[in-house]
Amino acid sequence: MNKQIMIDAAKCTGCGLCQVLCSLSKSHQFNPSLARIKIWREETRGVFIPLTCQQCVNPPCVNACLMNVISKDPITGVTVRKTENCIGCRACQIACPFEACSYDHLLNVVVNCDQCGGNPACVNICPFGALQYLPVNEALNTCRDAEAVRRANL
Amino acid sequence: MSKSTGYAGQILEINLNEKIAERKDLNKEFCMKYLGGIGFNARIIYDGVPVGIDPLSEANILAFSAGTMVGATFPTASRTEVSAKSPLTGRFGTANSGMFFGTQLKNAGFDSLIIKGRADNTMYLLIEDGEVSYLDAAGLWGKDSWETIDILKKKYSGCEVAAIGPAGENLVRFASIENGYYDAWSRTGMGAVMGSKNLKAIVVRGTLGIRPHNVEKFLDVSWKARKLIESSPFFVPFKSYGSMNAAMPYGKFNALNANNFSQGCLPDWKEDFARSKVEEITNGHIACQSCIIACAHWVEIKEGKYKGLRMKGMEVTPIASFGSGCGMSLEASVKASEMHQKYGMDMVSSSGVVGMAIELFNRGIIKTEDIGYEVAFGDDDAILRLMDDIAYRKGLGNILAEGTLRSAQHFEDGAASAMHVKGLEIPMIDPRGRTSTWSLGILTNIRGGDHLRCRNPIENLRYNENKYNFQKERFGFDRPMYDALDMPEDLKPKAIDLENDTTDIAVMSRWSEDLINLFNSLGICIRPPVEHKIGPTVLAEAYTAFTGIQITPEQLMQSAERIWNLMKLFNLREGEKPEDSKFPQRFYKIEVGGKKLDEVQMQEVLRQYYLERGWDSDTGIPTEEKLRELGLDTMQS
Repeated sequence: MNKQIMIDAAKCTGCGLCQVLCSLSKSHQFNPSLARIKIWREETRGVFIPLTCQQCVNPPCVNACLMNVISKDPITGVTVRKTENCIGCRACQIACPFEACSYDHLLNVVVNCDQCGGNPACVNICPFGALQYLPVNEALNTCRDAEAVRRANL
Repeated sequence: MSKSTGYAGQILEINLNEKIAERKDLNKEFCMKYLGGIGFNARIIYDGVPVGIDPLSEANILAFSAGTMVGATFPTASRTEVSAKSPLTGRFGTANSGMFFGTQLKNAGFDSLIIKGRADNTMYLLIEDGEVSYLDAAGLWGKDSWETIDILKKKYSGCEVAAIGPAGENLVRFASIENGYYDAWSRTGMGAVMGSKNLKAIVVRGTLGIRPHNVEKFLDVSWKARKLIESSPFFVPFKSYGSMNAAMPYGKFNALNANNFSQGCLPDWKEDFARSKVEEITNGHIACQSCIIACAHWVEIKEGKYKGLRMKGMEVTPIASFGSGCGMSLEASVKASEMHQKYGMDMVSSSGVVGMAIELFNRGIIKTEDIGYEVAFGDDDAILRLMDDIAYRKGLGNILAEGTLRSAQHFEDGAASAMHVKGLEIPMIDPRGRTSTWSLGILTNIRGGDHLRCRNPIENLRYNENKYNFQKERFGFDRPMYDALDMPEDLKPKAIDLENDTTDIAVMSRWSEDLINLFNSLGICIRPPVEHKIGPTVLAEAYTAFTGIQITPEQLMQSAERIWNLMKLFNLREGEKPEDSKFPQRFYKIEVGGKKLDEVQMQEVLRQYYLERGWDSDTGIPTEEKLRELGLDTMQS
């Protein structure tokens, strides 16, 4: 994989711009319930954690899908879906450890972030640098380590 | 109207007595004339509230209207207006709040909710994807607002909640409606109206979506607006310190409400309430829907009596109300903010009525046996106890819960200590320290003594020597600031005199009231980086792209003016008199920092303002000609 959406939850303020633009890009309406990025809101602790597809190397959703809808794109490494075969059973949603599979209630299928084909809308609009689109390299790994430590200490 | 209009398209009218709901479609003419948010409310309240009713009777109407552009990409468009006849002032009551309620309301299919009547038993409403459920609130009544919100947010995942706390249940006349954990519709007692309807909470949740008319254009103008806001010199300070930016300058000019307006500033204010304190006790920022500033802070008190207290906080209004108005410590001010949110009580009015009580105690008019304990400015524990008494209407609190205007009548010469305009307690801006557009707004505000409906879009927070007979304030900026202002070219030189470095207070007040009214209709935030560069030109472009309704900047401003005039007509219909537009006598008689107001000169500024508005210059009543121009000539005042 060349690049990936990197989440820095410490910078997230919960503004939700990522969600409204994501739903507009994918479903042609401002509608957080259709966004492929969620914000886990721990309001009584002042914590906001954006959740979207982490493009796992060995994705639990792929293994959970009975219909072979989900696969890894061999070139980009992005987790992609043939939604025409999706039966909407939502097994992938249960399997995903990041709550990153979204149920599209208009089409009755489950979807995930496809990084907008290399130009992710959510990253472009995030005003606080909580979402970045970075090459998968040492720097990215460092970011993820730091984020893991932060979450463990919350 | 078609689906692709940005509007949800419907108004939901709920009758709590009958448990029935009626859906009314919006039409284009209504949208153009009243825009949304406060504009819709103005018409709903004017048309629906009979003259002279008791605001706490079931004849009152509670209206929630989301700003037109809420829930999309336009920066800071998050705000929802709640209005009713105010039980505190008897006038047009209204309050504005952000966060995510409006987004969910529109996604549930409605631009406005109109709540009529009174439920037989305590109730909460669930509004979800076009449907209404009337649910029993027996298990929630008596709980504080945060407990209520906790329960409902867990029960209905992804929802937003508007809830009242004990103050609303107990009909405290300045009770608020809490908007989730972080925000509130606070001023003018909307929570008491909700309590009088036996309505504990409104839960909204929706998946219906909001469809802009012209996606490309709307995204373009959203981006343009973002660049304008980010390029304002107010942007970085507000991103860093939020509204606390105003705390220091106002202390410096003796323009703070210190100990019930007895001083312009407290001696140790600078040290105890400096910007550095914001850095010390906060970590992280919190944003409303689609905000690019995130002015709010997450506060954590790390030591002392209130160690472990965590909440969204450090905003200037609560900090100045409690810290300066009542002389409380910073930590206790944060504690008081928490308490007011849980109880659902307006912080400005509460600190105003407590300030009055302490002053009356110091004057020997209220005695220890009247309260049951001694009170003093700066006595954190006693003040918190008194505020608790107010929320639960215990002892003297039962009188104070009526607000300063009413409760002052219970005490000998109480009115001399009651710091309100038109029944609404005045927040921290003392006009003696600095007369400005902002301070004139306290007099001319539709809702009474309040600072949030009139403010110079380029508020300079600078010293004003009053050498211009109260008619001018210092401009204090360079030419680029002047050029950046989105104001009609013929009005600009009238409002700002670059050569003499002054702003005309009357002209700017009228303009900024209409501008803020426009913001409150479209759901935009009035924080300085937004108010500075966002104006009718950008908003007309955005509104047209979003709704598909062609509108010009001039038409937008005229709608804003129409809305203001309609609210004024409501107040006049309820018996507002010209002499009501007056500051407390103290401001004219007693100096702070060597300054006081001149009654005759202030009246002249007010006269100038009325002329700017096209109102009768003596009475402040809109002229027939003005009403005809606005299409309001059939309305009764």
